[in-house]
Amino acid sequence: MRFLSIVLLTIVLAALPDLPATAQSASSTATGVSNLLNPAISVNGLFWGQVSRDSDLPEYNRVALQEAEAQFTAIVDPFWKANFVAAIHPAHAEEDAEAKHVEPGGVELHLEEAYIDGRSLPAGLALRLGKFYLPFGKQVPLHTHQFPFVEAPVAIQLFLGDHGLTEPGARMDATVPLPWYSNLAAYGVNGDAEIFDAENRDLAFGGRWNNLWDLSTAATLELGGSFLRGPAAASWESTGHLDVYGMDLTYKWISPRRSQGPALTLQGELVFPRPQGSPGRPWGWYAEAQYRVLRNWWLGATTGQADPDLPLAAGAPEFDDGLTGKVNEYKFDVTFVPSEFSDLRAEVAYYDSESGDDLHFLVQWNFTIGSHPAHLY
Amino acid sequence: MRRVFRFLGLAVMLLGVAGSARAELKVVATLTDLGWLATQVGGERVEVAVLCPGYQDPHYLAAKPSLSRQLRKADLLLYNGLELEVGWLPLLIDAARNPRIRPGSRGELDCSQAVAEILEVPTGPVDRSQGDIHPLGNPHYLLDPRNGRDVGRLIAERLAELDPDGAQIYRDNAARLAATLDERAAAWQELAAPARGQSVVVYHQLWEYLLHWLGMDVLGAIEHRPGITPSPKHVEQLVVAARSRTRTVVLAAPWDHLDVARQVAERMQSPLLVLPAAVGSTDEATDYLQMFDIICRQLGAAFSTP
Repeated sequence: MRFLSIVLLTIVLAALPDLPATAQSASSTATGVSNLLNPAISVNGLFWGQVSRDSDLPEYNRVALQEAEAQFTAIVDPFWKANFVAAIHPAHAEEDAEAKHVEPGGVELHLEEAYIDGRSLPAGLALRLGKFYLPFGKQVPLHTHQFPFVEAPVAIQLFLGDHGLTEPGARMDATVPLPWYSNLAAYGVNGDAEIFDAENRDLAFGGRWNNLWDLSTAATLELGGSFLRGPAAASWESTGHLDVYGMDLTYKWISPRRSQGPALTLQGELVFPRPQGSPGRPWGWYAEAQYRVLRNWWLGATTGQADPDLPLAAGAPEFDDGLTGKVNEYKFDVTFVPSEFSDLRAEVAYYDSESGDDLHFLVQWNFTIGSHPAHLY
Repeated sequence: MRRVFRFLGLAVMLLGVAGSARAELKVVATLTDLGWLATQVGGERVEVAVLCPGYQDPHYLAAKPSLSRQLRKADLLLYNGLELEVGWLPLLIDAARNPRIRPGSRGELDCSQAVAEILEVPTGPVDRSQGDIHPLGNPHYLLDPRNGRDVGRLIAERLAELDPDGAQIYRDNAARLAATLDERAAAWQELAAPARGQSVVVYHQLWEYLLHWLGMDVLGAIEHRPGITPSPKHVEQLVVAARSRTRTVVLAAPWDHLDVARQVAERMQSPLLVLPAAVGSTDEATDYLQMFDIICRQLGAAFSTP
């Protein structure tokens, strides 16, 4: 019987007409099937391994997927350009997994960004509609594989969420007519990020003003201010909305006369969350330096602090390492970048807080395939 | 009162002069070579700005948002194409928010359209094991003056379209430029004549159009996979190949990793020539004509000495 099936299948396949190479494109009018206008596609894989000096928890002593991203970019029509980013994360904890019907140890998929950008607006305006990273400071808009260290600074994770501020809504940008580069962004979004209260019917809104000066052909200085207001999540112990203020300063120098030569970035950011009705005055900051010492090698160092300024019993936000209260961080890393499409990183991170300290040893590797859009400056 | 009228009259006259001297079109070129060609063709009717300084490797220009300010008011964007500027130009065009220079509009011009023969277009499978290759072919066509001449003509036609009142001026200027380049090209080939038929080792695959025009060959590239640090094994093979030749030279651009190029040249017992690869890439290469003067003189000298 099996032999007869194979013979029949062979006869059927042999009888199929042999399509000429051009047939697919020529017949797309009739079939509606064509690859000609497909979007640019790229996939990014980000893995990490870490060992904790003090914690026995498996999430701090393992090798795991940190994130995988698939990105699709295309021009929609004369009026819009679209970008989709789907991210795959490990399911973080068993209770999370159960709630989201994901097997422990499995993964979860979420739409990180999906938006269209207006292409024909007058007066130098730009419009973005959909789900997107909010323009707050320098770290929040970054995809995970763009972080200069394995993870975002503790102040950003604690006060703006360790999954990033990505929200559905609308964003408008305008150029400020000044003698230097100056951009003003304003947005209104749904308010369902982890720092907000998704049950509340209020929207979140905010803005960013950033300015960049050319100090020379090689060096720039950027100064930005950000503001965000939304319904405070329960963890803030707030009776109303949450305001977050931010300020950032970045100095960049790139050797102009040598291809992939020395480069230096110095960056600092201040974050002030102000939950309405809360007695505390939380704040955080980080300062980091990155230097390309050789064509393929970067060195980095950063320090920072997040101070919730709330009694531990009052339900202050907790850094996901189990460290509570005021948390200080110190990180050093070395990154090997063999090409624009892959890198390997080793990092030492030390955290100390009112509840104790911990030392982490981390490695991370990152690779990208396909047509990935260039990263912003 | 008379003094006031005199002053006002003078002011009106000065404004009139300033108005007549004002350029009709704002042109932004990605590269200094294109900027020079646009200046020659456009003359006083265009105001030209350049994004990438000549001394900087155009593959790796940082997409500083401040550069988008120049694009914001541009009437015409000239770019090299063949994905040379793919790492930064799309970001700057988006940041400029200028519908006049959006891809597909009359205000953007991919100058590679003028090139009759694109070299090194991959014929087999393309993937990144070959490095950061350009799938559409080698983009460094402006190092052949014949391509510069043809790009000049293409720019003239587009300027004529955008500014019909100046059409004849643009075409005349392009014709004059073509005549100059044709005349000088013969002299440059004469200067580089001792190098004809010779082989060179290049640092990056930057010089193929120049060598093709001068009748020279490439023995190999130090950076044999574009954008990737060369492996010791590859360098060793290249050194062995070069030593089997009676004479060769190593060609590098000023922005290349000259320490590596110098070491390889020493091991090959060959001279290293650091040649201007764009207008402004060295202090002496102040314009497109000067650049070829320097290149051809140095190449000729390298192969004429015993």
